[in-house]
Amino acid sequence: MDFDPEDINIPESLTYWGLTFGIALAASLVVAFLLAAALGGKKGIPRYFDHLGEGLRDTFGMSLRRVMAISSLTVKESIRKKTLLVFVVFAILFMFAGWFLSGANANKDLQLSVHVSFVLTSIAWMVFPVALLLSCWGIPEDIRLRSLHTVVTKPVKRSEIVVGRVIGFSLVGTFVVAVMSIVGYIWILRQIPPEIAKAELISRVPIYGHLSYLDRQGQPTNKGLNTGDINEFRGYIEGATKARAIWKFENLGESSLRLNPATQEKELLMENSMQSFRTHKGGIDDLVESSEEMEALLLHGQIVLENPEKNLRVSLPQFAIREFHQNLNWIPRKISSTDEETQETKTYDLIEDLIQDDGSLIVEFRCVDAGQYIGMARPDLFVRLPEKPFASSYFKSIFGLWMMTILVIVMGVTASTFVKGPVATLLLLSVFLMGTLFQHFMEDMLAGNLKRSGLFESGIRILTHGNPEVGKEGSIEESAAIKRIDQGFTGFLKLASNAVPNFNTFSFKAYTANGFDVPLRSAILPAVFSLLGFLLPCFLLGYFSLKLRELEAK
Amino acid sequence: MSTQPAIEIRNLTKIYRDFWGRPKVRAVNALSLDIQHGEVFGLLGPNGSGKTTTIKMLLGLLFPSDGEIRVLGKPATDVKKNEEIGYLPEESYLYRFLNAEETLDFYGRLFDMPAAERRKRTDELIKMVGLDKARRRQLKEYSKGMTRRIGLAQALINNPKLVLLDEPTSGLDPIGTREMKDLILKLKSEGKTVVMCSHLLADVQDVCDRIAILYNGELKQLGRVEDLLSSQDKTQIVSSTLSAEALKEIEEVIARHHGTVQEISHPTTSLEELFLQTVADSQARPGQRFVADEKISSESSK
Repeated sequence: MDFDPEDINIPESLTYWGLTFGIALAASLVVAFLLAAALGGKKGIPRYFDHLGEGLRDTFGMSLRRVMAISSLTVKESIRKKTLLVFVVFAILFMFAGWFLSGANANKDLQLSVHVSFVLTSIAWMVFPVALLLSCWGIPEDIRLRSLHTVVTKPVKRSEIVVGRVIGFSLVGTFVVAVMSIVGYIWILRQIPPEIAKAELISRVPIYGHLSYLDRQGQPTNKGLNTGDINEFRGYIEGATKARAIWKFENLGESSLRLNPATQEKELLMENSMQSFRTHKGGIDDLVESSEEMEALLLHGQIVLENPEKNLRVSLPQFAIREFHQNLNWIPRKISSTDEETQETKTYDLIEDLIQDDGSLIVEFRCVDAGQYIGMARPDLFVRLPEKPFASSYFKSIFGLWMMTILVIVMGVTASTFVKGPVATLLLLSVFLMGTLFQHFMEDMLAGNLKRSGLFESGIRILTHGNPEVGKEGSIEESAAIKRIDQGFTGFLKLASNAVPNFNTFSFKAYTANGFDVPLRSAILPAVFSLLGFLLPCFLLGYFSLKLRELEAK
Repeated sequence: MSTQPAIEIRNLTKIYRDFWGRPKVRAVNALSLDIQHGEVFGLLGPNGSGKTTTIKMLLGLLFPSDGEIRVLGKPATDVKKNEEIGYLPEESYLYRFLNAEETLDFYGRLFDMPAAERRKRTDELIKMVGLDKARRRQLKEYSKGMTRRIGLAQALINNPKLVLLDEPTSGLDPIGTREMKDLILKLKSEGKTVVMCSHLLADVQDVCDRIAILYNGELKQLGRVEDLLSSQDKTQIVSSTLSAEALKEIEEVIARHHGTVQEISHPTTSLEELFLQTVADSQARPGQRFVADEKISSESSK
């Protein structure tokens, strides 16, 4: 698995949101005040405070009946303007997709992944344009056709229009997502062969640990070795040295054990999916004639369980590392181990002796083969709790898609309050692309990881044909001044980048397609907070844009 | 009834600006007028005179560049004032995918009316504007006249104190026009204030108590219709048909009093009156038709 789920730090996230929102709000209020004072004459400042007061009243004094009237109008409009024709496209897609996907991958392990990815991607790409077009064109079309005039000349607050539209489009989006997800679920169940379905249609529930390394001298290090891969996701340890990968798992106990079908005993199940890096591949004249000989060529690893509180180290049997497979290690409740020094064999209880009092378990992994390397990342070894049904993971992924749909609708309605339909569509499409394809690039650039010049420095280099590799020619002061300007601009961009949501947060496809349950703290909660974090700013922007806008402006 | 006018306009100015904020058109210039409760007030003027702009500023659809507006004692931008206002726009801007019932129910909900009250009011208004047979048809299937009628019904859904009508008779046939005018008079009799703007002078003359004439955004005339239309330097006497001798005697009497006879003729009716009379006759005698220069009854041709 090539992703590394990290739990959300809720207090830190809330503080960051509060600070960002507070700064943006304060800046908006100050700019609006200055504009009111400069352009509004002597009435400007009283009007400014009138609008603020009205804003508060309109926000907290909304009529549910009016909001629901606008919502139901929006739903009727969407249905009667044949939005639901999207189902026809969806049906055609699914009628023929099975022809191409069933034999798409000979590897049975990947059948589930292919089908689940297809369904979730299809739903996302069907729902996104519907949400985009509906939300971006609703209010501008109302203004163009002047239908909105018949609404705003009733006692309707602009806040009710914004909220009513958002709820209405959200109901349509919810219906579309619900129907497509149910059809998609049934389709997956029918497409996956029964012999694969039993083993693969599950939601594995992992407990991930914290990973650290020891280098070949046995000294602690944060990273493993890099074997030349540009992707530094995995760190490698060298075989037959003191190099170790050490995981610390927490919150383990009796409930973490599960029934081993082979022994009919309750045991701890660990799963690994590490990768091998070979410096040699056996003798050149050695023929491999049997599966046993092939097995012998695989690299081997060994797990040692450690309890520093009791100064215990228990070695488990060595096992082969099968790449691109789910390798299972059943750790029995009672473990017999021979002490390396005294050669005395003792039996230890996994829960009583090896798991510490705080529920943590230290798992040390070593590569057995000399001169070979085994690479691992944090999620490459985990404890597997009893599985949940496949539907659990699938519908959590759908929940993520639904949240993305709602966010697109909220942002689309907001954009449509200050620009026309085509512009709102392009604006939101740009935000979406930035928030999906260019999110990592944007984060890296603003974090200074790209080791590139800033905007002004680059501009000067382009104009002066300067070489970016040898530093800017000229005085140190000049260069420092430019860097300060660039730092200030980067700070502004950091603030502005918060206006672009990370839409990847809402995609749980990697979990479901790989047979994992979608974790609450590292996937669902970040998505929920992302959605909630945009609701209030979007509402305020949409409300004031519509309120301060002359609907009949020529 | 409040002594405060229903609408107070003070020094109202509207300047349309271009993208750069430069003045483009001065649509309304220093307009001041009061409209009293219970009167039917007409805003007249040629195209581009500023009457629709004034109505839109009253409704808060446009913001004044200068001056003040108070509608029913509240600023024009206060949405609360809309609780007592009904507005019929110049053209039908209603949601064309809704039918008549859904339209009135939707606008009723915007006034926070309970469901039972909405149903009752919807039924009353649909019957009042004569759309009972078309109540379930979507508005996109309506003729222009029907659209005006449902537009009027939505303007009255909240039983408003103040009704703003933008070209209320536009697109209506003479019967519809007469019904609209009758309705305006009925609204007046119920104590409502009606403000209408129209190009059709005859319509305004028929129903308005007072009128204002705008030209190039400025107020040019303001007063009661009869006061503005009466010619104080002429006298008109209407009598049944007289003989030539009688007419001669009357001319002598006028000459004795130093007057001058300017015209003696048979008074003409208005085209609207003629049309309505013809329709009424046709309904009474369905077979009658007009061919070339002679009137032939269908009975006689059999």
